[in-house]
Amino acid sequence: MKELRFRLILIIGAIALSLYLLYPTYVNYQTTKKINIILEKKSAVLKAADSKISNDAVEDKLKSIEDSIKASDPSIAKDKSKSLKLGLDLQGGMRVVLEVNTSKLLEKLAKSPDESFKDALAQSEKEAAISNTSVVDLVADKLKAKGIRLSRYYGNIREDDSKIISDLKKSAEDAVARAMEIIRNRVDQYGVSEPSIQREGTRRIIVELPGVAREEEAKQLLQGTALLEFKIVKEPEYTISVMKKIDDVLAGNVSLDSTETDTSQTSKTTAEKDTSQNNKQLSAEDFAKKHPFFSVALLNQKSRTADAYVRTDDRDKLKLWLAMPEVQKVIPDNCQFILSAKPFGYQNGQAIYVLYCVNKNPELTGGVVTNALANISPETSAPIVNMEMNAEGATEWARITGANINKRIAIVLDGVVYSAPKVEGKIPGGHSQISGSTDLKEAQLLAIVLKAGALPAPVDIIEERTIGPSLGQDSISDGFKSTLIGFIVVSAFMIIYYQRAGTIAACSLIFTILFILGCLAGFNATLTLPGIAGIILTIGMAVDANVLIYERIREEMETGKTIKASVDSGFSKAYSAIIDSNITTFITGIILYQFGTGPVQSFALTLMIGLGASLFSALVIAKVVFDYMVQKGIKISIG
Amino acid sequence: MRIFEHIHIDWLGKRKLFYTISISLFLIGWTTVFVRGLKFGIDFKGGTEIVLEFQKPVDVSSLRNYMGNIGLGNVELKTFGGSNRVLVRTELQELPRSFFPKVIDNINTSINKITPGLQSKVADTTATSVTYQFANTDTTNLIVSALFSEGYQTGKVSEEPNNTQMIVRVGIADWLKENLKSKLGDNSFSVLKEDHVGPKVGNELKTNAVLAIFISLIGILTYLAFRFRFIFALGAVVALFHDVLITIGLYAALYGIIPGLNLEIDLTVVAAFLTLIGYSVADTVIVFDRVRENLKIHKTMDLEELINQSVNRTMSRTILTAGTVLMAITVLLIFGGEVLRAFSFTLFFGTITGTYSSIFVASALVLEYANRTHKKVQF
Repeated sequence: MKELRFRLILIIGAIALSLYLLYPTYVNYQTTKKINIILEKKSAVLKAADSKISNDAVEDKLKSIEDSIKASDPSIAKDKSKSLKLGLDLQGGMRVVLEVNTSKLLEKLAKSPDESFKDALAQSEKEAAISNTSVVDLVADKLKAKGIRLSRYYGNIREDDSKIISDLKKSAEDAVARAMEIIRNRVDQYGVSEPSIQREGTRRIIVELPGVAREEEAKQLLQGTALLEFKIVKEPEYTISVMKKIDDVLAGNVSLDSTETDTSQTSKTTAEKDTSQNNKQLSAEDFAKKHPFFSVALLNQKSRTADAYVRTDDRDKLKLWLAMPEVQKVIPDNCQFILSAKPFGYQNGQAIYVLYCVNKNPELTGGVVTNALANISPETSAPIVNMEMNAEGATEWARITGANINKRIAIVLDGVVYSAPKVEGKIPGGHSQISGSTDLKEAQLLAIVLKAGALPAPVDIIEERTIGPSLGQDSISDGFKSTLIGFIVVSAFMIIYYQRAGTIAACSLIFTILFILGCLAGFNATLTLPGIAGIILTIGMAVDANVLIYERIREEMETGKTIKASVDSGFSKAYSAIIDSNITTFITGIILYQFGTGPVQSFALTLMIGLGASLFSALVIAKVVFDYMVQKGIKISIG
Repeated sequence: MRIFEHIHIDWLGKRKLFYTISISLFLIGWTTVFVRGLKFGIDFKGGTEIVLEFQKPVDVSSLRNYMGNIGLGNVELKTFGGSNRVLVRTELQELPRSFFPKVIDNINTSINKITPGLQSKVADTTATSVTYQFANTDTTNLIVSALFSEGYQTGKVSEEPNNTQMIVRVGIADWLKENLKSKLGDNSFSVLKEDHVGPKVGNELKTNAVLAIFISLIGILTYLAFRFRFIFALGAVVALFHDVLITIGLYAALYGIIPGLNLEIDLTVVAAFLTLIGYSVADTVIVFDRVRENLKIHKTMDLEELINQSVNRTMSRTILTAGTVLMAITVLLIFGGEVLRAFSFTLFFGTITGTYSSIFVASALVLEYANRTHKKVQF
C-alpha cells in the first residue's frame, strides 16, 4: 500500500506539472482570441467609417491597436514567452539562410583591380558555387597560376601571400559578424516577435521570422547595408525641459488613451480628488497617473546627465507615446529621442534601456570610417576601440570634436544608440580612441558597429522558405483533426480488443499526450507540423507497450496462475522487450535530432519525449491501476 | 477477442518463399530506381518552388503548357490538395542571364511611368540583382519607394545620405509570379508557401541524410550486439537494410502512379526513413526477445523449431503493435494534409515491410548463419 501511495504521488505530480507548464499556453490562447475579437470589431468600424480605406491602411491601424493593447499589459508577453511555441510551418513566417558573398567583398577590398584580377574572381565565383573551397583560396590559386602576387591588390608590398590570405579570411568573417549585428538590430526594431538569428559555420546566418506577413518588407531588413550616424547628445537642462513638456501632454492624455484592458478606473478618481499631496509622497500608482512619462522614463536625480532609464516592458509603450502627434508637437524640430540598442543593465530580472535626447541632424555619417579595432588599452588595461577615418572625415571630425568638448556624441546605427562617449578634446588626424566599454566583448561589438556604415556586408540568400499564414492555419487544423481521430481509432481498438484493460490503456494514452505537450512547453521547444505527426505516431506506438504486457498477462493466465501473479509476471517479463524496442527507436530519434533542421528536429524531439511519456504511462500509471484493482478484488478482463 | 492464438506454422521451412518475395520486390523497385532514377524534391536538388492559392479553380494542364513556353525550360505544375491550389516548381536557382534585358526593360517602363524621361543607368548586374545609378539622392529615394510599392524588391545600395544607387533584386519566383499574373489577370492569387534552396545547401542536406541513416544503422547494430549476441544484431540490421532498400525501391516504382500523391524524397521523407529504421527494429526485438528467453529455457531444442515456436507465440503481439501504429499512420495519411502526405506514405509502407521482415527475414537470417557455421547459438 505504501509503495502504491508513492507511485500515486509521482503520477499526480507529473500530471500537475504538465498542467502547470501548459497553463500559460491556455491563457495565451484565450488572450489572443480576445484581442482578435477586439481587432475584428475595430476593423469593421474602420471600414464603415471610410469605405475607400485601403487594406494596407486598415492593417497598419490594427497593428498599432494590437501593439498598444499588448504594451498596456506586460503579462501578455510573459504568458506568450512561456507558452508552447508554434513553428514557422504552423504560424506562418520566413526562414532565410544568408551567406556572405565573399567574392563581392574581395572585389570591394581590392586596390585597383585589373582585368586579370576580375577574370580570376569570376572563375573562382563559378567554382565556389559548387564546391566548399573558400573563394579566397580559389582566387589566390588562380592568381598564383598567373604569376601575380596577392600584394598587388591587397595589403602592402612586404606582406607575403599567406599573411594576406589569412587577413582576407578574417575580413570575410568580420563581414558575417557585421551582417548579423545589422540584421539583429533591424529585426529588433521591426518588432518581429521571437525572431531567431543564428550563425552557422563561418559564413552563414540563419534568420527565422515567425508570423511575418509582409515578405518583401522583411527581405529588405536582411540587406547588409546600414546607416551609421554620429549625433550630439543634448544638454541635460534642455532635455529635461522637453521631457517635462511631454509629461504634461501625456498626463492630460492618458485617460483618453486607456483601452478596455485598463482596470484601474476606480483608483484614478480617488487620485484626482487628492491634489494636495506632494510629489514625493505620491504612491507609485498615483505618480504614474500624474507623471506618466517620468514613471516610464526614470531619471537618476544624482546623475549629471539627463539619460532616462526604461524597462523592457515599457519600451513599446514609450515608443507609442513618442509617436503620438500631440507629443510630436512639443518636441522641438532639431531634437529627437532614441533608445539604446542594448540594455544598460538589469533590475529585478528586467533589462533596462537608456533613452537619449540627441540632435536630429547627424554631425557625420559612418561612410568616413575606414577602420575600427577593439583592444585593451596598454595604459589603463581597460577595453577601448580605436577608430580611424579617411582624410575628408578626419577634417570634419576635428572641427566637430573641437566645438563640442565635454559634450557627448551618440553613435547611432539604424536609429538606435550603441554608445555615447564624451569628447575629451579636439581630435585631429582622424584617429579616435573610444573608452567606456565594460568588457572586451562590448568593445568588439562597438567596433563591428562602427564599420557597419562604411563597409556593407554583401549577403546572398541561399535558402529561403516562406509559409503563408493560411497554409499554417490549415496545417494546424489538419494536425489537430488527425490527432483526435488517431486517438479515437486507436483507443476504440484497444477497448474492443482488451475490454477493461484496454480502457486503462486508452486512459493512459490521454496522459501520454498531456505529458508530451507539457514537456514541449517546459523545454521551451517548438511544435511544428512534423512534430504533430510525431505525436500521432506516438499514439500508435504508445499502446505497443500495453499490447506487449497484456499479451504476456494472457499467456501467464493460461498457465493457470492467479490474477495477481499473472499481472506481476506479465509486467516483469514484458520489460526487456519493451525497453529494448524503445531504446532502438530512441537512438534514431537522437540521430534525427542531430542531423535534422527545424521541423525535422521538432519531430525527433516529440518522438523521443513521446517514447518516454508512453513508457511512464504504460509501466507506471497502468501498473498502479492494475495493482489497485487486484488489491480491491475488482475483476480484470483482458478480453 | 484474440487473433493468431496457438498457431503452429513452420515459417522457417518456407523461408525460400520469403526470400523470393523479398528479392523480387527489391528487383522491381531498384530496376525503376536505375531506369527512372529517384525523384528528389527541391530540398536536395535545389531550386525554387511556390504554392499559390487562386480565388477560382484553375486549369492546370493549360497553365502547364503556358508556363512551359515562357523560356525557363521545364517548369513543373501540380495541384496541391485542391483545384485552386497550384504548386509551381523549377530547378533553376536564379533567372538566366538571357532574361535580364527583359527584366531591365520592365523596370525601365515602370521608372518611366513614375517620372517620364528620367535618365537612368544600369551600373551593375549580378545573378540576382540589378543596380541602377541615378543623378541625385532625391530621385533615388523616390524611385526606390515607388518601385517597392509596385511590388519590386528595391533597396538603396548604401544608407549613406549621398547614396545615388538603387538595387533591384530579381528572383526566379518573382518572374514566375509575374508571368502567372499576366496570364490569369482576373484570377488573383495569394502565396501559400515559397521555398528556395541553393545547390550547395541541397548537396549538404543529401550528405547529411545519408550519413544520418548510416549512423543510426551502426547505432542500432551496436546496441543490439550489446543486448543480444552479435549475430542477432546483424540479422536485425540486415533486415533493416532490407526494409529501407525495398521501401526506397517501391517509392521510386510508385512515383507518378497514384494520382494526387507526390512521392518525392524531401527532408521529411528522410525523417520518415529514419523513424522507420527505429521502429521496424522494435518489432524484430519482440521476436528476438522471445528467442533469447526460449534459448535460456530449452537448452537442447533444435534452433529451427525454437525460432518457429517463438515467432508463432509472438505473432499476435507483432501484428497488434504494428496494427495500432498503422492505424495512426493511416489517419495521418488521410487527414494529415498535403504537406505530410509523402511522409505518412513512407511510414505506412515501411511499417508493413518492417513487420514482414521482422517476422520472416530477421530470424531466418539468424538460422541461416547458425546452419552455415555449425555454431550453437546460446545465451
